[in-house]
Amino acid sequence: MDKDRVIAEINWPGTAVLVFWGLAWEAAVRSGLLRYEYLPAPSAIALGFGELASQGILAPDIAHTLIAVAIGWAVAIVLGVSLGFLLGLSPTARRYSLASIEVLRPMPGVAFAPVGLLLFGFSLKTEMVVTILPVLWPVLVNTIGGVTGVHQRLYDVGRTFRLSRKDTILRIILPAAMPPIVVGARISLGLALVLAVVAEMVGNPEGLGYGIVREQQALRPDLMFAYIVTVGLIGIVLNAGMLALAEALFPSFRQLRGGP
Amino acid sequence: MTSTEERSDADEKAVGPAFECRSVTVEFPHKFGRKRIIEDISFLVRSGEFLTIVGPSGTGKTTLLRAMGGLTPTVSGSVLVHGKELDGPPEDVVIVFQDYSNALLQWRTIAANVAFGIERTLERQETEQRVRDALALVGLERNADDYPWQLSGGMQQRVQIARALASRPAVMLMDEPFAALDAMTKASMQDELLRVRDRTGTSFVFITHDIEEAVYLGDRIAVLTGSPGRIDRIFEIGLPAPRDQLSTRQLPKFLEFRYAVHQAIGRVHG
Amino acid sequence: MMRSPPLRQHFALVVEALPSARGLLPLVVLLGAWQLLQTGTSPYFPPPSDWWDGLMLLAKSGRLYPALSATTITLLLGLAVAVLIGTGMGLFIGVFPRLSRAFGPLLEFLRAVPPPAVVPVAILFMGYDERMKLTVVVLAAIWPILLNTSSAAERVHPLLLDVARSFRLSAFDRMRLIILPSVVPAILLGIRVALPVAIVVTLLVEILTSIEGIGALMIGAQRNFQSSQVYGLLVLIGLFGLLLNNVFAVFEAILLRRWPPKTQSQHF
Repeated sequence: MDKDRVIAEINWPGTAVLVFWGLAWEAAVRSGLLRYEYLPAPSAIALGFGELASQGILAPDIAHTLIAVAIGWAVAIVLGVSLGFLLGLSPTARRYSLASIEVLRPMPGVAFAPVGLLLFGFSLKTEMVVTILPVLWPVLVNTIGGVTGVHQRLYDVGRTFRLSRKDTILRIILPAAMPPIVVGARISLGLALVLAVVAEMVGNPEGLGYGIVREQQALRPDLMFAYIVTVGLIGIVLNAGMLALAEALFPSFRQLRGGP
Repeated sequence: MTSTEERSDADEKAVGPAFECRSVTVEFPHKFGRKRIIEDISFLVRSGEFLTIVGPSGTGKTTLLRAMGGLTPTVSGSVLVHGKELDGPPEDVVIVFQDYSNALLQWRTIAANVAFGIERTLERQETEQRVRDALALVGLERNADDYPWQLSGGMQQRVQIARALASRPAVMLMDEPFAALDAMTKASMQDELLRVRDRTGTSFVFITHDIEEAVYLGDRIAVLTGSPGRIDRIFEIGLPAPRDQLSTRQLPKFLEFRYAVHQAIGRVHG
Repeated sequence: MMRSPPLRQHFALVVEALPSARGLLPLVVLLGAWQLLQTGTSPYFPPPSDWWDGLMLLAKSGRLYPALSATTITLLLGLAVAVLIGTGMGLFIGVFPRLSRAFGPLLEFLRAVPPPAVVPVAILFMGYDERMKLTVVVLAAIWPILLNTSSAAERVHPLLLDVARSFRLSAFDRMRLIILPSVVPAILLGIRVALPVAIVVTLLVEILTSIEGIGALMIGAQRNFQSSQVYGLLVLIGLFGLLLNNVFAVFEAILLRRWPPKTQSQHF
């Protein structure tokens, strides 16, 4: 059953268009129609992949970026959910902190790069300085929203069954707030990837971000594009992985996300 | 547990009135001071009795129910369950809410929902047994592993009722539970509720704005009218049991009661 | 009687939704504590008063304002161009949904690549100049606007389109009188999403290439170990972003005053 469904769900005309443009691109470059010294053909990019992989450069770079993403994301989730619960449950805490959050939220992560360089030079810690704050916000804001958004009726149900405060939080508020928290976590994951790449471009010369800049400066567009495609693919995989994880852990979510 | 065993449980509790309101008054803070929602409400609910409270919107029916369920504090007067004054939600009383989709835990299966009120206080085996019994009482045995969003409105409301029944309350307070359902589902749910009452001996306090429903279900009807809401009259409904949707509703006595209740409500509104 | 609903009503709603000013306490406490605890001149954590001095130094040396205006102009110009192109393309795709489905996976793949990753491509293709910087900002800001516009154009209520037909409107009039106004809230949402992306990309370019701008100032200060300037510029960027967001919120409120209030952003 599943295989048929997957086949049916693939966007055939769209994929055909994608393949068509890929082939057109290849043909244009090869035939000399599109001659631009910095625009490689798709085949060249594929070869570039092979070159990076065989030289053992690609894998460590991917690993480095993923580690940076993992650390930043994990810290954001721990901080964001716990702080989010505190603020969500206490209107007083919210009153004395929301404005600060609103002021800090628009801070672009890249602006922290010089600060990180000042404090930590070229290191993973600099990447963390760039990543942590922006990645925190989606989880924090969504957790607060999820907790404050728990329907009054659910509190009534807890009270009519005489649940303790602890049980109300654990067995009603926490599961009820899960859908927005998971969405926030997914957004943060994508954001963590972008910020890690940015940090590697300007802060820490390691990983995929540095790979892009390095190959750009070395005037190797084929390798540069290979790195960019890698970043794009990792982003897709991370997002899909997160969706699958959410579906596996919370089977009731399908309805809560809006339909099967 | 068979129905006879359940009955004797209820008999034990039938020493005094299951429920009593004595001069209950509830106020809420309002723009300029406090607004009195209900005033001087007094009535009894006997064990195994089905009391319906009927009145137009805005008379404080929900507020009264919440006060009886310990969710809303009273300004004066007292609510007694088995003769004990309550402060906070009392042990033998469960509320069934009108908006079932907000009252069910969407992330739990039906069985887990029904177990919600009792899983912390009972052993696992007994919890599972009670869940099975409750689901059987409302006819949802086959849906134990479904999720609320997979069920129709009527079925979801039955889940809420099953959840309440699982905790074996002496009194079930129901806030217009069938108002959001279509007429045919409503009719079958009404009969189901009466069957449940017959099998378990639970007392019911049932709020509705549907006068026919109030007369059909009730052993007694309390009419709540005015602002602030007061009990205008309490009718003893002497209609034969078991009730039947077609024949009972055609009895002359049914029509008389219906007329009388209409009058009682209309009277205060002029 | 054709009158816009009073601005005051909408502003009241916006102001009501603002968080209490008491919420600034954590920031104030943090800065205050920092100021008090830093007695010496630490190279790593200079006190906030030093930040101010650093900024003043930059201002007096005549480098702050040109940089600030360069960044601002690039941002606003880039956003404007992105709105023009993004809205146009979005409307086109939305009105012909079959196109969007055919281009779907292509667009999805392009969307998966984060804008910052494309900056080196632009540098390679266009060199180290202002034109490149503007192009990158436009490319980064275009996506949210295009996507929001196209999806809103696709979702114009079919009833409204029936109204257009029953009044026998020309295609141009239908676009002007029905589709475009329906799509305006979505365009504004797209701009709101594009704003932070545009800021990030602008700063990124400036930091990478040292093309004139606040980012260039920052990285220059860092290379010279002028930590108080770095922190000062960081605060400046923060305030700048805050100002831009709020100005845009006001602009949005004015523009959307004829729409029901819930199309504006929600707060809790």
